[in-house]
Amino acid sequence: MENVKRLTQAYYQAPWRKQLQYIVFFLVLLVMSAVVAGIYLNVTARAVTVGQEIQVMQIQIENLKRTIADKETSLAFLTSTSTMEQRAREMGFRPVEPDKIVYVVVPGYRERQEIHLAPASQPTVVSDPKLSPSFTISLLEWLQVNVFNPSSVLAEVLR
Amino acid sequence: MRASSETMIWRYNVVGMLFGFVALMIVAQILRIQLSPQAHTFREQGDIYAGEWRTVKPARGLIYDRWGNLLAGNQTVYELGVELKDVRNPETIAFTLMGVLKSDYDRIYAAASRKYSLDPEKPAVYAVLANNVTEEQKARIESMAKEIANQPVGRDQTPPSLRGLVFRPTLKRSYPEEEMASNILGFVNDEGVGFGVEAKFNDLLAGTVQKIWVPLDPNRVEEVPEVASGSSLVLTIDREIQSAMEKLLDEAIEESGSDGGVILVADPQTGEILAMATTPRLDLNNFGDYARVFPGSTPFNKAVSQAYETGSVFKVLTMAAALDSGAVTLDTVFVDTGIFELGGIYIYNWNSGAWGPQDMTGCMRHSLNVCLAWVAAELTPSRFYSYMQAFGFGRLTGIEIAGEDPGRLKMPGDQDWYDADLATNSFGQGLSATTIQMVMAISSLANDGKMMAPHIVRSLVNNGRQYNTSPQVVGLPVSVETAHTITEMLAESLETESSDALVDGYRVAGKTGTAEIPTPYGYTSNMTNASFVGWGPVDDPRFLVYVWLEKPMTSPWGSVVAAPVFRQAAERLVVLMNIPPDHVREELGVANR
Repeated sequence: MENVKRLTQAYYQAPWRKQLQYIVFFLVLLVMSAVVAGIYLNVTARAVTVGQEIQVMQIQIENLKRTIADKETSLAFLTSTSTMEQRAREMGFRPVEPDKIVYVVVPGYRERQEIHLAPASQPTVVSDPKLSPSFTISLLEWLQVNVFNPSSVLAEVLR
Repeated sequence: MRASSETMIWRYNVVGMLFGFVALMIVAQILRIQLSPQAHTFREQGDIYAGEWRTVKPARGLIYDRWGNLLAGNQTVYELGVELKDVRNPETIAFTLMGVLKSDYDRIYAAASRKYSLDPEKPAVYAVLANNVTEEQKARIESMAKEIANQPVGRDQTPPSLRGLVFRPTLKRSYPEEEMASNILGFVNDEGVGFGVEAKFNDLLAGTVQKIWVPLDPNRVEEVPEVASGSSLVLTIDREIQSAMEKLLDEAIEESGSDGGVILVADPQTGEILAMATTPRLDLNNFGDYARVFPGSTPFNKAVSQAYETGSVFKVLTMAAALDSGAVTLDTVFVDTGIFELGGIYIYNWNSGAWGPQDMTGCMRHSLNVCLAWVAAELTPSRFYSYMQAFGFGRLTGIEIAGEDPGRLKMPGDQDWYDADLATNSFGQGLSATTIQMVMAISSLANDGKMMAPHIVRSLVNNGRQYNTSPQVVGLPVSVETAHTITEMLAESLETESSDALVDGYRVAGKTGTAEIPTPYGYTSNMTNASFVGWGPVDDPRFLVYVWLEKPMTSPWGSVVAAPVFRQAAERLVVLMNIPPDHVREELGVANR
């Protein structure tokens, strides 16, 4: 019995050692939590910054759209018929009389074209889906093209 | 020493337990709130600050002339509102806006002094005080806000303040050409009701208003859906021609002392309207002046909304119908005795004279009512009216301008139609038509018998694609031969009588018209409507011009007041449309016919 007690005592850890283990364990937990919290904070902060930048950009887009509309209209005011006519008169131009016009043939002359603000509408053409060669050629064909005839791959790269 | 250490441990444990208990209570409270019946309300309150539902009105589509010159655009203005929770002094706000925007003091004061409330039943968070505030007005208010903020105040006084005012930018319609083409463009009110192309295409131009969720919390930021602008329109109008015709019309009205008028220019081969000058006109940037400019029942666009008795220009169509049906030929001779009886009424010529034997060209050249009434009688009512229906009278042309008037064509079988109407209708009396109807009908004579639908919209631009309209033939009222015959007849008539409508270097065809104006008591007024319709060059008609002067004072006759206007219009058109004189085109071999 005495031997057992002695043996147990020999393997029993000192109280200060136990306390140190608890403290270390707690500190490890604390550090891990801090690291996780730090990473979370960092990612969140970056996401928020990006989110805020997006919001600012959205506002900028709206402002730019309005500015473009403003500029377009201001330009139209500056080039309106009455303004242009007044400017032309100030520069010494006057309306041409029909009998003062000389008509000459200019080869290749293209008449003034009407405005095209956007591509003309076209009927939607649904093209046949093209399968990748990976689905259509056999392994032997593939080997022939890519292994036995490597220059074709080189040609593909150089193209 | 040992006792002291144990006490310390006990104390630490107590403090630890205390902190643990507090933390536990906080967690418990969080859970209690999350699971409480009021949680829904709290979430709703939180959502108020998380974002907002914003009504996005897309930018209104633009309107261009055929060459891409902007006729109707958009410009930034501001909605001036007030955030009620930030208002410090509603009196200052009301007083300032009364000075800068001429707003009603009581209305602004009442709006700005409302109590801030988040009550879902009766929320009071934001109030709109003024719309369409310009950049200059905004700058003035902002500078006043700064001045007021720096003003010293007494201790007992409520400090003057413009706090709470918010400017929200928005786009407002703007018309760079001001009055020009205003009768075509028109305008709409907030409900989309109005005039012109703006009203006719309001649904397309305005686009679709969308309500979108805009998160204010950067954590919840998401892509704001793109709100497509309204569709844009390209008109067939040429702004140089429009401007020239408006100037010419204004001069003609002033010189002749007319009440108003119309000059309409169309391409007879396509039905495209190149210019539509009418009076009065309104600077669309100040559409609030509408009631002053258009008093009473004045139509916004006389060319499409005011039908009138056209008078002798109508003879062109009667003669075309008679020639086409074979009722008369070019060489048919009519002996004009100066009087013709039909349905119990007597028809006289414009000078009450008898012109003796006349072939059909002579009848047109001298514009003989008696002859044309006889021609209509030869044609018979059924054929006459079926031709007039084929020319499109009595129904809308379908031009893309709001407020079109179908005019009136009485038909046999109608309660108010009498035999005598055939005689008077033959020379444009007793029926009414708009200028646009006349242009559509007569375009068939200038275009090998093909009547083109008049149209003013050339293209529609929507979602990055341009959809062009195609010229539409809406009828073949007369044959190619008849169209050529009547064109030749009218060209010859002008040349023989040395008309004021003749254009140097260009062969044109045309016809004058002088119509008495009916009153409730009959044709008792001395006032007339003077008209002229002409097209040219005869070998390849590129333009058709219709001139109408309302109640001219200097002379009642279309040949005196309207024919010279046609000549001036044609002289401008050949320059603006790059049409070389006949002999040049013959040399170059570009003439079609």
